[in-house]
Parts: sequence; structure tokens; C-alpha cells
Amino acid sequence: MTATIRPLGMLKTYTAGLKEIPIETGLPVRQILLQLGINPDLVAGVFVNDEQQTKDYIVQDGDTIKLLAVIGGG
Amino acid sequence: MNGYGGSILRVNLTEGKVTKKPTPAQMARDFIGGRGFGLYLLFKEVPRNADPLGPENKLFVSSGPLSGMLVPGAGKCDWTTKSPLTGGYASASMGGHFTAEMKYAGIDSMIFEGVSANPVYLLIDNDKIQLLDASHLWGRGAVDVEVELKHKYGEEFQVAAIGPGGENQVLYACINHDFGRQAGRGGVGAVMGNKKLKAIVLHGTKSVPVADLEGYRKAGMALYKACKDAEGLAEWSRYGTTVVTSWCNEVGALPTRNFSAGSFEQCDNINGKAMREQIVITDKGCFGCPSPCGKYSSMKRYNTRVEGPEYETIGLMGSNLGIGDIQDVAEANRLVDDEGIDSISTGNTIAWAMECYEKGILTQADTDGLELKFGNTQAVFTLIKKIAHREGKIGNLLALGVKRAAQQVGKGSETFAIHVKGMEQSGYATHNATAMLLAYMTCDVGAHHNRSWAITYDLQVGRDRVVPEKVARVIWLQNFRPMFDVLGSCRLQWVELSIDRDLYPPVLEAITGIKRSWEDLEAVGNRIWNLSRMYWFREIDGFGREWDYPPQRFYTEPPKTGATAGQITKFEDVQRLLDIYYEQRGWDGNGLPTSTTLQDLNLSALVA
Repeated sequence: MTATIRPLGMLKTYTAGLKEIPIETGLPVRQILLQLGINPDLVAGVFVNDEQQTKDYIVQDGDTIKLLAVIGGG
Repeated sequence: MNGYGGSILRVNLTEGKVTKKPTPAQMARDFIGGRGFGLYLLFKEVPRNADPLGPENKLFVSSGPLSGMLVPGAGKCDWTTKSPLTGGYASASMGGHFTAEMKYAGIDSMIFEGVSANPVYLLIDNDKIQLLDASHLWGRGAVDVEVELKHKYGEEFQVAAIGPGGENQVLYACINHDFGRQAGRGGVGAVMGNKKLKAIVLHGTKSVPVADLEGYRKAGMALYKACKDAEGLAEWSRYGTTVVTSWCNEVGALPTRNFSAGSFEQCDNINGKAMREQIVITDKGCFGCPSPCGKYSSMKRYNTRVEGPEYETIGLMGSNLGIGDIQDVAEANRLVDDEGIDSISTGNTIAWAMECYEKGILTQADTDGLELKFGNTQAVFTLIKKIAHREGKIGNLLALGVKRAAQQVGKGSETFAIHVKGMEQSGYATHNATAMLLAYMTCDVGAHHNRSWAITYDLQVGRDRVVPEKVARVIWLQNFRPMFDVLGSCRLQWVELSIDRDLYPPVLEAITGIKRSWEDLEAVGNRIWNLSRMYWFREIDGFGREWDYPPQRFYTEPPKTGATAGQITKFEDVQRLLDIYYEQRGWDGNGLPTSTTLQDLNLSALVA
């Protein structure tokens, strides 16, 4: 069972520029980030099928997960 | 002048007279517009030691060369005055459509001076300008008044108004516009209220001259294309600034219970997801914005609606008050907007009062019977009205802002009054984030975040490190980010969508005919920064290093819970940060710009 993660913007530097990566299901997003070598502190927003979730969200089959970097704040 | 409205409008409220003069070309060259104009006029026109709530103080509102133009987010104006809250420099940015309308009415800056004998409002319809009786509007909410004035004059008129907070000169009263936008910080609304100016109603239909029309069109569209192509546009537009709420909670930056911690156990009930699920009806943007961060919300529980809340209000009127329900936060937002008091300062000051109450420093005898415990939503709603109307012991006390309230109450409450220079700290807890701490310490208006937002940098290079590179980063951001307030357009397209900032100089050149690189613009930013520093030294006896100290809580009380539990900044690191900052800025050990620095910035004559 798979889902897809899409790092946006500068977060692609952690995935060698890849825009889309297949990932395992059944794990929290936070753990997926660590597996990919992405510091969770640098991810401002996790969007699962365009709805914001926290990094504790457990990835489901077919999910598309976009990652928004923390950039400049308010 | 290309890109400018062309005139300065002077409104003498004592005499009831309005005059217009051409905008000086030298002022436009040296200070460009917006915040630059405001500070220059403040320095030149308001005498030293003027009472901020007296006839000698003036209120300035200025647009910039990008305001109202074909540029994303070209909807920002700057309100500047001598702050009744801090006694120093106040500059508050306001979005919406007011700045564009100023430009089309041919106005670059408005100067409000003197005090009217009776409440008035200013009506501007191109060159027809009148001061009219506002006695029927006085005492009413800012949003309520805007609705009435738009019905009276037409949807195309833009309105900026104060609520009872401004009328009663609450020291952090704000100015409201477009139903949910504010010039929030520093008490600009109190100055407007002191002058008995209830509202400005504005409409313009003039053309704006540009140097290179085709170049302007191409460069402006390039900026819009960059926004449209930006990754994250959909996500940012859907959630606005609330997108960072959960992240702030995770990294210990979400102000919680008077900044005693940086993580809130009920964050999931007040974050962007909760907003969209429970209350958001639609997105709302400012003039020319392709990435609307505003959210219009409907609170079923209260049968009310509000533009908001955005991140700052979620932090300061949610987690900072122990309130973990988005409908309650939104209703608090609606109340402060209509009453016309700044949500950041209000939330910060009430949180201080709650801590005082829970520690027994304030009792129900002091709070007019209110049980001021963290999480008591009804008490917050009641208190907002009491503050705005200066009712009762507690309303009058908290209307002073947290610094003066703590000085009055004493009993150790000063140690948890969270402010810098008298301005209540905005929405980022900085127990262990030295760049952001420094940003708050050295911000030119007091503890406000928008000049130099540096938390990401803290996380990238080590949150507790004190190194010259971090200080250099804060300084660069302070010279660069506020230039958007000078130019009159929003910075959030660059900040949040990461569009290439090198797309801005071509459109600025095409509009004004003057070539300026970002290096040139940051030099102006540095100049303005140093001039604002000189203003503080001019106005406040004994101003200096100690005024740059952070709230004591951030170097004495590690949070007991949350992501930053047990973490704190050492006071010797606070001192090191200031030493490095002053050296890099070209200031002496007390934080005064040196004569060499002033000469290099061509400021010596102005500050003499």
C-alpha cells in the first residue's frame, strides 16, 4: 500500500530535487520526514489531500501529502 | 512625480482647515514613501517632548510608490505617530484598499494636526475635501461605523475608523479599515481619538503617472506570474497565517498562558484546520492580492461574523489566554475589532492580569468581580468592553498596557509583564530562540515581529547559539523587510511564496523612472532604521541599552511544559547579542548610533 509525498519549494533540497516520492502507509508523517532526512522543525504545514493535518497524522493508502516549508513567518 | 499621488494633505483639526501642497521630490528620493515618509515627517514636524495625547502630536498616514499599482498585494499604507503606549516611535502597517484609494485621490501622505473641538470625520472625494460632524458616529463601533459610511457614500469609498477604544484613548487603540484590517500597534488609534477624528472616508479616480507604461505592465505581470506559479500558493491562500499555528506549537513558539510556555495542549482546537472546519466562509484579500490570507468567518455559537482570526490573534487571544476553542477566539477577535483595540496588546495585557489573579496579586476586588483565570472566555469578552470603555478599576488599569499596569500594581508583577520598550510582545515565545529574541529586543517600535522574523534561522543553525552570523541575519531582515512598508505593498508574497525578490526593482523602476537595486533599497532601510533609533534617544530621557532588554521571563523562567520545557536563554547571552548587534550596526555600547554612522547615512544634519 502506498501514498505519495510532495515536498514544496526548498524542501526538495532534502529529496535531491524529486517532486514526488512514494512512501509507506501506516506511519505518522513525522516518522516519514525523519526517514527522508527532512528536519520536521523546518516543515510548517502538512497537507493531506489539500487539508492541513499535524505531523502525527497516520498516512493512509492513496494519500497525497504536500509539505510546506517554514519560510518567513508573519 | 511618476508613481506618486503628488500631494501632501494637511488637516488642521483645531482650525478645521485642510490644505494641500506638492510632495517634495527630495523627500521622495531620500525616503521613498510609506513608512519612510511617516518617520521623516514625525522627526521634522512633531516637537521634542510632545505629549502623544496632546495637540502637538501629529498622525501621519502614507502610501508608497507601489501602492495601488499592478503589483501583488499593493494595498499597504503606514500610520506613524509618537506612540502614547511607548513614548517613542509608532509605525503601524494597514492593508486593505485605503492606500490605493489615497493614490487615486492624488495623496501621498495625510498629516493630522491639532485637536478638533467636536468629533469630526474627513470626507475626501478627489479634490472635494470636507470635515464633517461625527457626533452621530461617536461612541459606536469601528466596524458598525464603516458599514454606515459605506451605505451613505457608496461601496467605492474606503473608510478608516476608530472604535470606542480610540475615542477613550486606550493606549493600544487601533485604526480599523475594510471591516477586518487594522493599523494595530503602538496606539495610533488613541492619537486619532485624542484628535476627535472618528473616521476618514476616501474616494479617488485620478490617474497615476508612470515612467514606462509598457515596462510597468510587463514587470507587474511577471510578479503576478511568479505568484501564480509559486508552490504552496494554494496552501497558503487556504489557511493564511494560521498555517503556522501547529508548527509554532511544535517548536515551542506559540505564546501560552502569558508566555509561560511555548506549547498549548489545546492547539488542535485553534489551528488553521480547526478554523476551516468550523468557521471559515470565504477567503478575503487586500488590493491586488493573488494570495488572500484573510479569512471571513461565521461563529454559529454567537451568530456573528468576523474577518479573522489570523495567527497573531489565535496566539494572543487563544493560547496565551488559555482559550482552546476557535469560535471563542473568533468572537474575541470580533469584539476587539469593533471596539478598536489591538488584539495583540489586548491579549498580552489580559494574560498578565490573569497571571496576577491566579497568583493572588489581583483579587476580585480589583477585577470588578471578574474571575480572571486562564481559560475564562466570558471574562475575556467582558474585559474587552471594559478596557475599550475604560470602565471600572480593571478596565482603566488594563487600558494602560502591560508595562504601566505592572508598574502600578507592583508586587513582582513586573517580572512577567511581557513587553519591550512598553510594547506588548507579539505572537512568538522566545525562551530559546536567540535570533528571534534579538529581533524583538531591537525592533524599532517595541516587541513586534514583522521587521525581522528569524525563528527559522534559529532552528536551522542552532536555537541557542549566539554568533555574529545570527545577528547579521537579524540586521539584514530589519533593513530589508520593512522596505515593503516603505514601498506600500505587502511582503507576504516574498515571505510566504518565496517569489524572487529581484522581480520588484524592475517594476519600481518602470513606475518611478528611478533605478534602485535591493542594495540601494536596503541602504534606505538602514537609514530609516537609524533615524528611528535617534527618535527614541531624542524623546526618552535615559533611553539606551536597558530599553533593549527582553522580558525577564525569557532569561529567568524556563517553561515547565511543551517543546521548550527546561530551556531558557542566559542573561549573559542577552548582553552578548546586544554587544554584537551594536557593533554591527555602528552604534556605541549604549546603542546610540555613532557620529560616523550618522555621517555615512547622511543623517547628521537631520538629527542635529
